[in-house]
Amino acid sequence: MTKDLDPLLLSQLRLAVMSHLMVAREAEFNALKQHTGATAGNLSAQIAKLQEAGYIEVVKTYKGSYPLTICKITPTGIAAFEVFFEDLKTYFPL
Amino acid sequence: MENEEKILNPQESLRIIRETIDLAKRSVRESGFHYLLWGWLVVAACIANYYFSAIAGWPPQKASMVWLGMVVVGVPAAMIYEWRRGKQEKVDNVVREWYGKVWLAFGISLLLIILLTVTNSISPVPFILTLVGFAVFISGYMIRFQPLVWGAVAMWIAAVACIWLTVDQHLLAQAVATVLGYLVPGYLLNKQSRTAHD
Repeated sequence: MTKDLDPLLLSQLRLAVMSHLMVAREAEFNALKQHTGATAGNLSAQIAKLQEAGYIEVVKTYKGSYPLTICKITPTGIAAFEVFFEDLKTYFPL
Repeated sequence: MENEEKILNPQESLRIIRETIDLAKRSVRESGFHYLLWGWLVVAACIANYYFSAIAGWPPQKASMVWLGMVVVGVPAAMIYEWRRGKQEKVDNVVREWYGKVWLAFGISLLLIILLTVTNSISPVPFILTLVGFAVFISGYMIRFQPLVWGAVAMWIAAVACIWLTVDQHLLAQAVATVLGYLVPGYLLNKQSRTAHD
């Protein structure tokens, strides 16, 4: 029997961000932008939703004199992704 | 991704996850450098040790000093390579981290094997080959690279073959196994990496 999937992760961009952070643990905003091919505005909006849910943590810092935004996956985010993946498997019975 | 919130179906979700994991595995696959570096160093050290011990007639302890040369060349070269790679790649990934842990555990076990066998006057080669086979097998499985798995089998076969060989011949078995277990997969990894970048 199939399970309902976490709607927050059923968005293409949010899932791409979360998948990337699952393997990279943390990534610079620009690296995520490059990886997903999203526009900065759209990516910011989706990151804000993930942050609001507690799935990721956003750290704003500086690299020299340039501002740097780093996104990190949280334990809540890791758990949510694992549940999502387990639920996803129910759609592909062996 | 022009659509602000494209909602995915399960197939699309799985594809996105798979693509990301494949990217992570590919970044590890590009590390053919270490197999080639250590492969050539081990083969050179095996042949040199065999020559000095079996042909030139040096005492075994003196002949085995060639392995120190391997460490002196190999460790700094590997560290410089990793340092430069770390500067290029701003993000780490979990696959690479696990891969690193496997080889860290290998390094510690290798030192223990050498210490334990040498202090008991036993040839360390069959035990080293068994351990290398283990690490290469896990690495091959992690990055789904079949030549490494076959390389591990070659290491294990060479380890068993040592039963019927003299201690000096163990070195030749190790050299052959290293060609099959390190060099061949290393060159194939590099070839695959080049093809992926073309």
